[in-house]
Formats: sequence, C-alpha cells, structure tokens
Amino acid sequence: MNIRDIDIYTTRDLSYDFLGLRFENPFILAAAPSTDNLEMVRRAFHMGWAGAILKTTSVEGTRVDLAYPMMSTFNHDGKKLFGMGNIDLISEHHVDKVENNVRMLKKEFPEKIVGASIMAGRKEDWQHLVERLESAGVDFIECSFSCPQGNIGEDPGKMLAQSVVATELTARWVKEAAKRIPISIKITPHVTDILEIARAVKRSGADAITASNSLQALMGIDIRTFVPYPQLNGRSTHSGLTGPAIKPITLKTISEIARNVDIPILGTGGASTWSDAVEFTAVGAGVVQFCTAVMHHGFRIIDDLKSGLSHYLDDMNFTSVTNIHRRALPHLVTHDDLPRCSVRSHINDALCIQCEVCYVACRDGGHIAIDRRPSKIPIVSEERCVGCGLCELVCPVEGCIEMRAPQEFSTVNYTG
Amino acid sequence: MQLTHQQACTEAERCLYCFDAPCTQACPVHIDIPKFIAMIKSGNVIGAAEVVKTSHALANICGKVCPEEIFCQSACNRAKQDSPIRIRELHLFATQQEWKRGYSITPAFPKNGRSVAVIGGGPAGLGCAFELVKMGYAVHVYDAKGFGGVPRNSIPSFRLSNDELRSDIEFLSPFVHSHQRLVDTKAFARIREQHDGVFVGIGLGLDKPLGIPGEHLPGVLPVLRFLGRAKMNTAYIGKQVVIVGGGNVSLDAAATATHLGASQVILIYRRSETEMKVWKSELEEAKKRGVQIQFLTIPIEIVGSDGVTGLRCRRTRLSDQHDASGRPVPFEVPGSDFDLDADCIIVAIGQVIQADFVSLFERTSQGFIRVDDSYRTSLDGVFAGGDAIQGEGTIVQSVAHGKAAAHAMHDYLTAETRRAQR
Repeated sequence: MNIRDIDIYTTRDLSYDFLGLRFENPFILAAAPSTDNLEMVRRAFHMGWAGAILKTTSVEGTRVDLAYPMMSTFNHDGKKLFGMGNIDLISEHHVDKVENNVRMLKKEFPEKIVGASIMAGRKEDWQHLVERLESAGVDFIECSFSCPQGNIGEDPGKMLAQSVVATELTARWVKEAAKRIPISIKITPHVTDILEIARAVKRSGADAITASNSLQALMGIDIRTFVPYPQLNGRSTHSGLTGPAIKPITLKTISEIARNVDIPILGTGGASTWSDAVEFTAVGAGVVQFCTAVMHHGFRIIDDLKSGLSHYLDDMNFTSVTNIHRRALPHLVTHDDLPRCSVRSHINDALCIQCEVCYVACRDGGHIAIDRRPSKIPIVSEERCVGCGLCELVCPVEGCIEMRAPQEFSTVNYTG
Repeated sequence: MQLTHQQACTEAERCLYCFDAPCTQACPVHIDIPKFIAMIKSGNVIGAAEVVKTSHALANICGKVCPEEIFCQSACNRAKQDSPIRIRELHLFATQQEWKRGYSITPAFPKNGRSVAVIGGGPAGLGCAFELVKMGYAVHVYDAKGFGGVPRNSIPSFRLSNDELRSDIEFLSPFVHSHQRLVDTKAFARIREQHDGVFVGIGLGLDKPLGIPGEHLPGVLPVLRFLGRAKMNTAYIGKQVVIVGGGNVSLDAAATATHLGASQVILIYRRSETEMKVWKSELEEAKKRGVQIQFLTIPIEIVGSDGVTGLRCRRTRLSDQHDASGRPVPFEVPGSDFDLDADCIIVAIGQVIQADFVSLFERTSQGFIRVDDSYRTSLDGVFAGGDAIQGEGTIVQSVAHGKAAAHAMHDYLTAETRRAQR
C-alpha cells in the first residue's frame, strides 16, 4: 500500500511582482515542446511552475516543415546533455489552437502566468497575432526575433535581432498592437554588440527583453561516417544549442544589458537549478525560464527549484526573490577597472592527495611555478607563481588549493 | 564513516534520477529517493533532509542502520550499469546536515479534536504517532522506557550512537504526549476507553529460553538482557563466549561480545549459512571481528556446576522437509555430540511478546498479534504493527507499519463518525 505522504514543512511564499504581473515564483517554462501541449502545461502548473510561455506560433497558413530526429546531445565528461541541440521550429499548431490553449489555461489557472511566443514577417501579421492572443487573455507576449533556425528576418539566413533597424521597427509594430499586455523581445547573443539591439528594443517602447535564445551550433560529427549530428538520412544542419553549456554566455548577455539599458529582462538559456536561477537574477533577470532541464528530467524539477530557493533565501536572510535582483552587478567592472592585486597559489599539504595534476597543468599551461617533491606533495614557488589560478581549478580536492593575498605570505618578492 | 561533502556530490552525480524509481518502491516508507539525491546534487541539502523526513519519522536512525542491501540499494537501476548508488549514505549525509544546522521548522498541525493512544515508543509506535499527529490527532504514547524501542534498548551503540537516536526523538517529542508507564491488562482497558483509537506497537521483549539442562546457571544470558546492559555499560562478558542463534540479533550480540573484550566468540546455528536470516553486511562484519560460526549445530546441555564451563552440542543435517518459513528442517545426527569450552552462553533464538495484555488478542501460530491487511486486530478500534505482528523485522518496516496503520485508523475513525452522524 502506497500512502501519499503528508507535507510536514511549510512552503515559503516566493511570490513577487514583475512586469506588472504577480509571479508565484521566478520559475517559468520557456517556449518549447513542453509548452506546446495543453495536458503538459496543466501538469506543470499543478506541479508548481509559476508560468509558461506557449511554444511560438505564427500566422495561419504558415507551413511548419519539421525534420526528425531533431534533438542531439553534447556530452561532456560522461554526462549526457551538458548541451542539447535542436533543429525544432515553431509550433505546428494552428494559431486558433494556441489561442484556445491560452483561454483554457487562464480559466483553469487564473493565478498562473500564461505567455505566448509569436513570430511573423509582415507588420499586419505581427499585429494580428498580438491582437488575437491579447483578446484570448494572454498575460504577456514574447516575440521571437532570434530563432537560430528557420528565421524570418530582413535578409535570408539572418535573424531579426541581428539587425538594429529591423528590431526597432518590428518591436514598435508589436508594441503598437498591444493594448495593455507587456511585450518582450527575445534576442540572440549572436551579435557584435548586444547593447545596440537592447537599446533598439528600449527605443521601440517594448516592455522587456528575453535574453537570450539558443546558440547556433554544430553538435558534433560521427568520425566514421562524417555525418554531423543530428543525422537525418546522411544529412545534418546547424542546431540551436541550449542547456548548461550555454549558461556562462547567457549570464554575460543578461548582465551586459542589465548594466547598460533600463529594461526588465526575462532570463533564459542554460539554467537548470535553483542556484542557476539565483545567478540569473543576480545579474538582472526578473524571472528565469527553463527548458532543457525540464526536457531532461521532467517538470518534477520544480520541487527542488522551489525548495532550494526557499532555503537559500532563509540562509541569506532575504525576505523576497527581489532582494537578489541585480546584486552581482556592482561587482562587475571592465577589465581596465579591475583591481591589480597580487595573489599566490597555496597548497594545503594536509588535504593534498598527491595526484600532481596541478604540477603538470602549471608546468605545461601556467608558469612552471609548481615544483615536485619526493613526497609527491607539490610546492608552489613564490617567486615564479603569478597567481593565475589554474592549479586551483584543476585540483580534484575541494579547498586544497586556494589563492591567497600576498599579506598572507611571510615573504613575497614583487619586483623579483 | 560518513560521506564528505565532495563524496556526497560525486555519488549524487551518479544517480540516474529514474522516474517511478525502483529504490523508492523498495523502501518500505517510500522515501522519494531520486528527489532527495537531486537536491543534494543541486546543493539543497536541507531540502533533501526534508524529503527524507517527510516520509520517515526516524530518519537519522535509519540513515545509520537501515539495511540498504535488502531495500533501496538492492533495487537501484544504476547497478545494472556498474554499481548501485550508496543511497543510505546519501540519506545520512542529508539528515545529519539538517540535524547539525537545527531542524527545519514544522508547522503546528491543525487539530481534529480526537485523541488516540499508541502503546509502545519504538519505531512502529513513533511512526504511527507522527502520522496521526500530521492528520490532526492528539496522540498519547505509552511506554515504560520512554521513546526509542529496540534501537534504544538493544542496537549496540557502536552501530547506533545515543546521539543519533536522540536526534530523531528530540524531533518527534514535541508533537506527542508521552506517558512513561507500564501498560498491563488493566491499564490497556482504561486506555482503550479513554481514546478514540489505539495502536499497539509493543515489539517483543521477552527472550525465548533454550529449554535444555543448565539454563539456570550463572553465565547464561538471554540476549536482550545482555544487549540492554551493554548499552548501559553494565554488561558482564566472559572470555569464551558461545552464542546460540542465527539472526541479526545474535550477530549484534557476537559483535558486542568481541567489543567488550571476549577473547573467543563462537556462534552456533542449527542450519547452514544459506538459511541464516541476516544481512550479509553484518555477517561479514562479525566474521571480520573474528567471530567463529559453527553451522549445523544445536546446543543440548549447558555444562557447569557453579557457573558455565561449557556447552554440549550436537551436529545436525538438513532434511528435504521444509518448515513454515520455507527453510529445510534440521535433524539431529546421532553420535555427533561434542563440547565447546565456554564461560558465557548468550541465548538468541528469538523473542516473544512480553506484554500481558497480548492474551486479549487473536494471535498467529507463532504467538504474534494477528492483523488484517489494514493492520486491524481482533479488537475493535485497535490496530497493531511492528515486530509484535511479524517477529523481528527492521526499523523501517516497523515505521512503515505504523504509518499504514495510522491511515487505516484514520479511515476507520472517519467512517465511524459518518456512521454516527447518519
């Protein structure tokens, strides 16, 4: 007999306002396969997700010519899906169906945030989509200006969000058509200057930026047949890369926009855990979208997202998610403005397991500043060590190697 | 040994995060194992401990002593690829972190105005009590020895420290009313009258005697008395110890005897190793400690005048006949008698229920309290679980009985209310 366990812990209130909307927590589902099916979104909502952006829809009559298999994986160090590639396109559903999904979801879950993602070409098509979805009751609209495959930009093969002019113009059309709901423009990191695009969005009057879409990638090559992945009968193409592999790029994109342009940001691209969400928020994201982690493990990851974030807030004595917002930004400066501090590597002999991994890394990739000893516990040369930090990164033991400021050493010869 | 933070993370990384996971199914209290392991992996260790404790009231105790090889770990899908996840150790890592930090705050559970009694403060009783608390009952636990049961009274302290035991009891104590008094037949009747429902989790508590000559001699120790004294550091142990048994309790006694300084410990068992109802890990541990095991051997007489000097034994052989437990019946081999030198005999051949009010219940052929699928006894409104219904089991099984019985009792009392209202 399986009994459903009775909860014995109170759940913390994680709700806050963003874009004029009430989010019960910062975790929402990105426009993707997980949000293309009413039954799936319902399940996600029941399980505790705060909202979902329904998979991108377009004008009626747009033919969506999908190719299968569409998914591929970037495995790293024995871990599957460190990065995930897809050659998916927009929703195959007719816009009527998406409109109906919005109506059903808002009726069944009035407290959840239902967004819709749209993509079009002509002005009237963009505006028509906004009007239809707004009247269906959607809470906000996200405009895909950046799908890395199947683009509808001003030039073939180019994404809308790679053109400053097209981005501003199109965003303006969309914003004009929206009566009351906020509009977010989903951009790509594949630009020379992300700020030009972000400023164009700001000038258009659009309410927010979704940063950022998947990255164009070639997922790998079968070295026996030379057919790249995913393999479709001997052919392949570029994929959109998502998952943990792209998190550092997304953090950079979000932080860059947040530091320079006064516009709300929906963070997306590479978040899989509650701590990733904290990082996204700390560099300026108002909410965090999830996709690859859900496609890998299911909606059930929401339990840890909520629990982990709750305990984090308690530990940090924060009263709300908004306390995290932009907290990392003051620490972020240009390279010129970095303090020039001298640090040296320090190996804790008691923790060292004598693998000499730091030695070889420093010898061949650092500054030949670590010496071997008969004990196999390496020793750092205070003269030769410049404090690059490579040894700390490669050390397999938590806390064994640390970078210390010079005052912690008895003698350091700076001019040497 | 407890996992370090790094070891826990590395081990958690190996978990496949199965859906409808076999480990959770194999756990008697169905802890959501993939969920708590994913939480350890994400750095949410307190959340992980909360997941464990949501399903398991005696989380620290079981993190320490649960025989994972017969439950969660035996079912792990990862074992089909390489080796199973060290689930119990991850469980312990999480609950110990929470204990060190201080328990997560649990809300005051809404009261439903009804009062129930739990007789027995061991794993079954506490498992049942906490489940009833969660459902809103005022729960009164009766046990002359306070909380803890077998883990407190007889699990050797080198396997389960008092701290680990105390941590769970400290967590549970504020939720229940404790009555530290003996329950006899008269008290039982009164308790039944005073409460809406009763759960009986009284365990066993009384050693079965060998029934051979010489059992009265000084130096013959019933195992529960021996283990109980060992826990209080008042145990006497000889130099040459023979233990008669074959279950986990006999292994505990053997390990304790070596621990206390016996120079020779021999365990005799009437069947062979295959038939032993023990956890492999404990058997291996006992062997490592130098415990010698003589299989296919029974005691026939304890030798000595003022005290034990030896044990007369007889060899057995296994027949084709099988007993109720499905194991072959041993027959004595005539003319195979031999003597073992001994100054101390520990009798660990099983236990029976000690409480006198057990005579009120319909019982099984082995003398345990008979219950149906819903843990209902032959007495109306009285439920039972733990060792008292099936003999020596595991802590987690007893907690599972307690939980299931709590839900059955709740259903019974709810239905009764509905009947009364009609």
